[in-house]
Amino acid sequence: MMMTARDLAFGYRGTLVGEGVTLAVEAARVLCLMGPNGCGKTTLFRTLLGLLPPLAGRLELHGRPVMEFSRSEFARHVAYVPQAGSSYFPFSVTEVVTMARASRIGAFATPSAHDREIAQGALERLGLQHLASRPFTEISGGERQMTLIARALAQEAELVVMDEPTASLDFGNQAKVLDCINELRGSGLAIVLSTHDPGHAFACADSVALMKRGRIICEGTPQAAVTPETLRNLYGVEIAVEFMRGAGRNICAPALGRFRKE
Amino acid sequence: MRFFRFLLVTFAALNLLLMPAAAQAARQFVDAAGRTVEIPDRIERVLAAGPPASVLLYVLAPEKMVGWVRSPSAAEKEFLAEPFRDLPETGRLTGRGNTANIEMVLSMKPDIIIDVGSIDPTYASLADRVQEQTGIPYVLIDGAFPRTPETLREVADVLGVKARGEELASYAGRTMEWQKETVADIAGDERPRVYYGRGPDGLETGSAGSINMEVLDVVGAANVAALAGSGGLSNVSIEQVLGWNPDVILTLSPDFQKSVMSDPTWANLKAVKEGRVYRAPTLPFGWFDSPPGVNRLIAVTWLTAILYPEKAEFDLRERTREFYRLFYQVELTDGQLDRLLADSAVR
Amino acid sequence: MSKGEALSGIGKQGRAARLRGVVPPVLLLIVVVLALFAGKYDVSPSDMALVVWSRLTGTPSGLDSTVETVVWNVRLPRVLAGLLVGASLAAAGAVYQGLFRNPLVSPDILGVSAGASLGAVGGIFFSLPVLAIQSMAFAGGLVAVALVYLVGSAVRGRDPILVLVLAGVAIGALLGACISLLKVLADPYNQLPAITFWLLGSLASITRADAFSILPAVLLGLAPMVLLRWRMNLMTLDEEEARALGMETGRLRLLLVAAATLMTAAAVSVSGIIGWVGLVMPHIARGLVGPDFGRLLPASLMLGGGYLVGVDALARTVAQIEVPLGILTAVIGAPFFLWLLASGRRGWQ
Repeated sequence: MMMTARDLAFGYRGTLVGEGVTLAVEAARVLCLMGPNGCGKTTLFRTLLGLLPPLAGRLELHGRPVMEFSRSEFARHVAYVPQAGSSYFPFSVTEVVTMARASRIGAFATPSAHDREIAQGALERLGLQHLASRPFTEISGGERQMTLIARALAQEAELVVMDEPTASLDFGNQAKVLDCINELRGSGLAIVLSTHDPGHAFACADSVALMKRGRIICEGTPQAAVTPETLRNLYGVEIAVEFMRGAGRNICAPALGRFRKE
Repeated sequence: MRFFRFLLVTFAALNLLLMPAAAQAARQFVDAAGRTVEIPDRIERVLAAGPPASVLLYVLAPEKMVGWVRSPSAAEKEFLAEPFRDLPETGRLTGRGNTANIEMVLSMKPDIIIDVGSIDPTYASLADRVQEQTGIPYVLIDGAFPRTPETLREVADVLGVKARGEELASYAGRTMEWQKETVADIAGDERPRVYYGRGPDGLETGSAGSINMEVLDVVGAANVAALAGSGGLSNVSIEQVLGWNPDVILTLSPDFQKSVMSDPTWANLKAVKEGRVYRAPTLPFGWFDSPPGVNRLIAVTWLTAILYPEKAEFDLRERTREFYRLFYQVELTDGQLDRLLADSAVR
Repeated sequence: MSKGEALSGIGKQGRAARLRGVVPPVLLLIVVVLALFAGKYDVSPSDMALVVWSRLTGTPSGLDSTVETVVWNVRLPRVLAGLLVGASLAAAGAVYQGLFRNPLVSPDILGVSAGASLGAVGGIFFSLPVLAIQSMAFAGGLVAVALVYLVGSAVRGRDPILVLVLAGVAIGALLGACISLLKVLADPYNQLPAITFWLLGSLASITRADAFSILPAVLLGLAPMVLLRWRMNLMTLDEEEARALGMETGRLRLLLVAAATLMTAAAVSVSGIIGWVGLVMPHIARGLVGPDFGRLLPASLMLGGGYLVGVDALARTVAQIEVPLGILTAVIGAPFFLWLLASGRRGWQ
């Protein structure tokens, strides 16, 4: 077990957002967290990343409580891929990816040749080397998301937490990111990601947890946990889950309501 | 990093090179701030640090002035003697605006810098700085109005114009003594109560101890606004002035003087009803308020005339002419006198 | 692009970047040389060379002693001080713009200028010697920011940056009110003009001692900036992102704010309030050399120092009397900045 949560209660000081969360994250496994807007996914992620202290329960990384780690030490094990917003300043893609080396070099040091090589390697692994000197603010949304994933790779962490990595990406870019996630799992990384699209669970997840109002209401393999019944319970609408031969996996689509296209 | 080290080395090198400059000394002078300054025996060129110093230099030794702190306007030049009225502008030197260009000061090569005004640690330290930076002796002179004769003698001695200084100082001394004797028999509570209204609406005034009101104290009048603040200018309200009900109103602003006579709000004041609202003349230097230099001497005579009319058995015009001839070296024509005293004298 | 090329930045973009990087030091050199020869007192280049030579070798120069006074006591300290003040303001501006993730932030945002102003105005009001006025300005700037930081950390908000900014606004307003009060109470003949002039900023009465007295504080503030120049880049990320990358953002922010405040307070204590330099110079530097703080810092230092030296040379030559620096930096800087915006230079956003 890499990271375990036992009966974890999380939230902000004075405000409970969720409780009773029990999870396990393992190497070479993808855990997909799913739930409606405002269910507490982001707050849970912040807690898993050590950015918020747990309100109750246990949260441990490699057997040690997460709060005991220094930020630098924690970052050597766990990497965070946020949603790719726009940056404030036009750093180049290489500079952005190299930022990951912060947890590996001294307080007053600058990246060495070795660090630059690792960063370059991460870019090449994701096929982004042609963007190396482009400003981060001028590449597309999908390319930005991939850059942040490359950054997580350059961090050389064993666990990667991704917050809705496919949000606001077009179809093509979504596919690229999902492929990337599968490849990363294949190389031994543990991945926790959240998503709005239940179909992604079938695309890349080994286990799925459904979260509603701060509690995990269902978990298991995608086959077991993502069914029309559980989805109706979660989202409150009818969602069909069916195997699509062309895609080679299950696809989820909501059955639209009163106003149907004739 | 390299740039950083380069900076460090450069500054260290410069520090080694720079050494203080030494000044040539001739005699020692202890100025009003207690600073012992070495000044040359013969002084030919003098720089005034501020307007009161300009006035002092002009009356004592205009031929030694290198310039005016502020160039006189055309109206002011009419009341100043040639060729001194056309000297260049040098700017204020320290603290109170600090607009003089040090290099220009140096290019004028003054033998000494004179500063007249109130003495406090700020100006003493500014004097030290300028002196150290330029190598020119810088002396501070106490410009308090009651010691005008001493000030005149003191600076005349420094400048080497003792005779002239004595002439002006004894005139000043005589004037102030005469004034005291003239009003000596007026009891304290019969002293005229004066309100001095500055600014276009006349609601800015000087409180007790403010430099603007020194002359009032010397002539024995009472400042109605003495308690309105502490030592400086303060804004008061019309209700306060109505409450004080002064005997006389003084002002600098011609607009205010006109408006106060017609404004119904002010109409009930004793001073307005009796028409005792006077404007202080300002040419070439203010008679009453600013600059706070020896130019205020004429105000002693003038205020006696308007505040104590029953005692005024003298000709204000003649006294004014005499003062301007002696101090400013100009002969006033009747027309000029008329203009000067237009709104400033008892009708 | 091969691995080697990508790593060393060679290629058309690399060359252009290097060319742009040369602009700040070259500009600085030109401006400093011109400024040394500018002034109301005529000092020819040969005179200047003679004066320097005579000091170096210890032989008399044969020139009027006033020329030496002008060079060593008036012009050189002014240029030195201009460099230090301009460089400090620009470096502090670069740090603040990064920390607050906003290219339009100036060093005044946390109240250092308001605090320094209050300190100086208080010193003038109580008729203290000049050294005390300068010390009070320095202390005032530091205390104001410390106060803002205290208030900011007492308030538990989700966004520490926003909390700091709001605290800075509130405390700045409070300090401004105190300054206004002192202005009302001040002696209008002696003190008020001094206060007004100080608030407008000027290097007119700079002495050698002034220039050297601020050097320790400036260097002390510069040191953490240089040491943390790479980490400074990460501070421009979102708070959570930076912490997730392993940075102790709270500690680093405190250290960097302290460093920037030290430099700004030192600069302001001798020069008065000079605006615009801390806002625009880092901006222009970023346009030239990019946002990487390792390049941005030296470029800001050089551009800031050069700009202030140049503007000060104008301040003392363009009119009969001294023009306050704060006025000139705005009058020159604002139209130039607008022109840059209009010509659509890249790299601002």
